Formats: sequence, C-alpha cells, structure tokens
Amino acid sequence: MSGSRRSWGPEVSWLLLAPGLAWLLGLFVLPLLGLLPLSLAEPLGRFSLRFRFTGRIDNYSEVLQHYGPLLLRSLLVAGLATALALLISYPLACFIAFRGGRWRPLLTGLVVIPFFTASLVRMIGWTTLLADRGPLLGLLRGLGLVMPLEVLGLLHDGRLLNTTPAVVGGLAYNAVPFLVLPLVVTLQRVGVSLLEAAADLQAGPWITLRRVIWPLSKPGLAAGLTLSLVPTVGDVINPQMLGGPNDRLIGNALQNLVLVQRQLPRSAALTVVLMALLALLVLFGLRGGSRDDLPLP
Amino acid sequence: MPRFPLPPEPPRRLPRRTVLRRLALSAGGALALPGLLACGRDGGRGRGSGATGGGGGEGKGPLVISNWPLYIDPSREGVPGSVERFERATGIAVRYSEDQNDAAAFFAKIQPELEAGRTLPQDLFVTTYWMAQRLIDLGWLEPLPLAEVPNRRHLNAELRKPSWDPSERFSLPWQSGISGIAYNLEATGRELQDVDDLFDPKLRGRVGFLTEMRDSIGLLMLADGQDIRRPTYGAAEGAFRRLEQAKADGQIRAFTGNDYQDDLLSGNFAACVAWSGDVAQLALEQPKLRFVVPRSGGLLWADVMVMPRGARHRREAAAWMNFVYDPPEAARIAAAVHYISPVQGVQTILAADPATARLSASPLLFPDAAMRERLQVFGPLSAGEEARFDERFATIVGA
Repeated sequence: MSGSRRSWGPEVSWLLLAPGLAWLLGLFVLPLLGLLPLSLAEPLGRFSLRFRFTGRIDNYSEVLQHYGPLLLRSLLVAGLATALALLISYPLACFIAFRGGRWRPLLTGLVVIPFFTASLVRMIGWTTLLADRGPLLGLLRGLGLVMPLEVLGLLHDGRLLNTTPAVVGGLAYNAVPFLVLPLVVTLQRVGVSLLEAAADLQAGPWITLRRVIWPLSKPGLAAGLTLSLVPTVGDVINPQMLGGPNDRLIGNALQNLVLVQRQLPRSAALTVVLMALLALLVLFGLRGGSRDDLPLP
Repeated sequence: MPRFPLPPEPPRRLPRRTVLRRLALSAGGALALPGLLACGRDGGRGRGSGATGGGGGEGKGPLVISNWPLYIDPSREGVPGSVERFERATGIAVRYSEDQNDAAAFFAKIQPELEAGRTLPQDLFVTTYWMAQRLIDLGWLEPLPLAEVPNRRHLNAELRKPSWDPSERFSLPWQSGISGIAYNLEATGRELQDVDDLFDPKLRGRVGFLTEMRDSIGLLMLADGQDIRRPTYGAAEGAFRRLEQAKADGQIRAFTGNDYQDDLLSGNFAACVAWSGDVAQLALEQPKLRFVVPRSGGLLWADVMVMPRGARHRREAAAWMNFVYDPPEAARIAAAVHYISPVQGVQTILAADPATARLSASPLLFPDAAMRERLQVFGPLSAGEEARFDERFATIVGA
C-alpha cells in the first residue's frame, strides 16, 4: 500500500487535486476576491453596474452601523437554532451509531428523506403546521398549554407562526441532517467495543458519555456544527416565511440590498463582513474539535 | 356574441408561493378613471431609439413573451387559450413564459445585459408601471410599433398619457388593479372601512402589509391626507412613522408578497393590504372575504407591456398586442384573471354571457364612479427619492 502511494508521484497528486482546486478557485475564491474592490467602490449611477474604485471605506462603516445589530441578531438566532438542532441530533446520532445495528442505513436515510423535497416546500409545510388554525396550535390548546407557553415566550398573542421561536425551530429542522450525518459517521468509528470497555471499568452512562463518547465525537461535531451554523446565519426563506417583521436575518437584508435597493458596493461590504465573521467562528471557535485525533485505526 | 368557456372552477392563482409578487406590484390605471392617469411629468424622458422603432429588427424563431404567472386565459381541456388562439389566427409561433415573479428580481437579471448593450431573449414582457418608468428613463426600451396596433382604439380613453410613460411611446397596459384592504369578516367580526381599522388593537398580530413599498406606504400616505400623485420623502414621513410604530407594537404580523392570500384563507390574517383581483378570486371560494377601498383612498396600478431594446420581432409583437386588445379576447383574459381590463366593451361582453354575468357586475373588475373617485396612482419618484423610500422601507420590513 505504502509502496503504491510512493509510486504516484507529485503529478498524480496534482491531478487528483485539480478538479476540486479549479472549482474552488474559479467559482469561490476569485468571485470572493472580486467582492473586495467592489466593497470599496462607488457606482457610476443609481442603476449602473459600472463602478469607480475610490477606496470608499465608508461602505463598511455604513453597513456596520446600519446592519450591525441585525448581524449580531442573526448570529444569535443561528446559534440558538444550532444548539436546538444539536440537542435533537446528538442523542439521535448515538442511537443510530450504537443501537442501529442492521437498520443503521435505513435510519440514516430516514433522517435525509425530508430533504429530498425543495426547501421552499418544506417551509410551506411548516406554515401549515404552525398556522393559527393548524394542528400544532390545536393540540397545544387542547392540552391547555397556550398560557404557559405564552408566559415562556414561545407563543406570541397565542400564535406560533411569524414568531422568533418558529424561525429558530425551522432553522433547527434544516440543520438536523447536517449534524446527524457527520456525527453518525464519527460515532460509528468509536464503536460499541469502547462503550463495553467503559462499562467493564465501572463507568456509568453519564461518565461514558462525558469521558468517552463526547471527546471522540468532536471531529464529527466540528464538521456538523460548521455545516449547520454557516448556512443558518444566512438563511433567507425561513425567516421570510416563518418569521414576523422583527425576525428577518442578515440574508434577507442582503437580498434586499442586492435586488431591491441595488446597492452592490454596500452589499459586497456586508458580505465581506459576514464571511469574515463566519470564518473567524469556524477557524477559532471550532478549531478545538476539528482535529481528527481519534486513536483508532 | 360568441360564448367563451370559462374554467370549470375559479382560476385560483395561489400555487406559486413566492415572496415575490406575481401580478400586481403596479399602479397606474386602466379603466375609466378620469384624470387619474394624466401625465405627471414633462414630456417623454425615454432615450429609446427613434420614434417608430429604429432598434431591433426582423428575427427568426418564435415571438418571445414574458408575463407574470397565471395572468392570461390559459388553454385547458381542449379549449385553446389566448396564446393558442393567437397562433392559430396569425400563424405566428409564440414562446410564452410565466417567468415574471418579481419586478426587482427581473430587473437585476436583465440589467447586466441591457447596460452592456446586449439584447434580451424576450421581445415583449409585462412589467409593473414603476419598473416601466425606470426602464424608460434608462433608455432600455424600444418605442412600440403603435401604428401596427389598430385595436389600440379600444383602450379606455383615460389610459392616455400615463404618468410613467407620458409620451405614450413605450408601454401599453396589460391589466390594472387596485390596492386596498382585504379582510375576513369572520376574523374581524365587523366591516372595515378605513386604514385606521388596520391599527385596531383588537386585530393585533393579525394584520398584514405588502412588501411592495408603493402599496403599503401609498395607502398610509392617503390616510395621512398626502398627495401620492406627486410623492415626496417628506410627505411620506408620517406614513413611515406609523408603520414603524405598528411594527414595534406587534400590530403587524408580517410583510408579504402575494402569499398573503394563503394567510387570508387560513385565518392567519384578519385583515391586510391586498390586490383587488386576488381577492375577487378568493372570494369565490371564501364568501366571508371582503375587499374595500378605504374612505381615504386606494391605489390604482397597472401592469404594462414593454419591448426591450433590440427586440427582434417587432411586427409579431404588434400583432400580439393588437390581438389582446380585441374586445372578445380581452374579455376572455379578464374572465380568467379577474383584474381590470384596459379594453372598452369587456363589461358588455361578460354581461351577455350567463357564465360570466356575475363578473361583469363586480366592482373589482369594473369599479363604479364612487370607487373610482377614491383611487389614485402613486406618482413617479426620482432615482434619488426612490433610493430613500426603498432604504427606509427595507428597514421597516426587516430586510
């Protein structure tokens, strides 16, 4: 095996790397670099796509001043949604990895099945589910839970739809598969034998989770959190359909800047700020878990 | 008088649930609206080529038309619709697309092409009145071949010199409508009459406004006693403040595009700012739905046909426009879409057929004099003013 690897030579490695590299450079890095001069430019006219590079740093200060609170709010809502998704995903991934047995592929498939439909269709489903005369609110009314949930801030004026909790719920729903799949793969590598070893050493379930499963699941956790948090921050459809006027996120602001206001330099500046924030989050916040340090073959 | 088959059931326009508006963002006027559509600006400001159409030329391939979804009489169950009838009558092949989901998004799509001097695949498209004005000002439209549209004589006289195209060279009306208040009588428990009713604390959290700035702000400006025919940012200050306060108070549940229809039907909205044709259709299946033009006034809008610079099928496009202005054809379209036809005689044709007689009596398709008096068109905004309006409104709707 190692001999064949040596015989590849650097040209084979570059060949293997070429498609991904071309894709990344051509469709991601270069357009992104193009945003930088645009974010420091001024349009030649209100409806012109021609720009003059003036080094206008005010584009940044303006978007930070105007959209700073929305940016923070977006990160907060995305963080809440990801945390909720993690609460759902982690036990589910443990179950599939450790107890799934021969049903594991099927169970993993079931997690993904809802995502065979378009996200817009799924969101329309949510609006039906959460509607004022919908089944969920009907159930809560029947159980007499409306008042307690209102006190807890989970309902607003007796409704679920067009509220912040609905947005958080919808975002979490979208994030679940992105957390479950990497976690299942990682936990599978942990294997049942380590759990049995922990049990042999008198470790209870809580100790096993805290000292064995959790540390070894960190690579999958890091990948899952990155995959779920990053798109959640910029989600457009979810806050638009499930939220109210106070629940829009930074993606909605960007959409409006680009499509309605046609302020492309400012939208470029906002995009750069958003991407820098997310990059920092990914690089530093999740760095601890991103190392594949599983002591397994 | 030929009878024209109607769809077996009301032609619902719900299915495309897009945030974007499908039909109506427009303004302007079609019907008999004395004085409403009078020119609001000096002369034509368009910079299109030549008065009789210098640009463009004869092209091969089909005539390409782009319109909002479900905004025409469709072919169904063996009964040919508008496009098919046109093809049979003229021998002109048509590629008809319903890809106009949102005026702003469409503008973003065509802007790079037109600014670079390239031509669009579309020979003709239907857009909203304020977008037509923007395109005229940018010089991105061809003058229409009006001499080849003799049926233009059937247009309502009040459609002359619309404020968005005072030279009358670049646009012709497709359909018009009214922006007013829709409400569900079951949910409100009472009839609504005024914009103030939308701010009734009893309706807290069950009121919707449109993401279309001109409709939402225009209605509030009218309630504020402002003249929306010559809108200024200063005059809109009261409307903006009122909307901001209502949002902060939780009075407004959501700002929507045409998806307000679902919310009205499902009971999520008790009342909302709405477009007349939508409600006319929805009321067929939900009799408790009402549409009212507030006593302070409602907005009149129009969607218009325009020809982008360099359009290849001028003659064929003229034939199409001439075809849809033929009163029986216009009546078929009006019966299918339930908006206000720009063509004279449509009401008479609909009244003569028992299947459509009820439509002919609808004030939403044929506003009476009392309603007409309360309608105004949101006037042109300069590019700078529009930017200020858009930015403030975007902050309110949370975008």
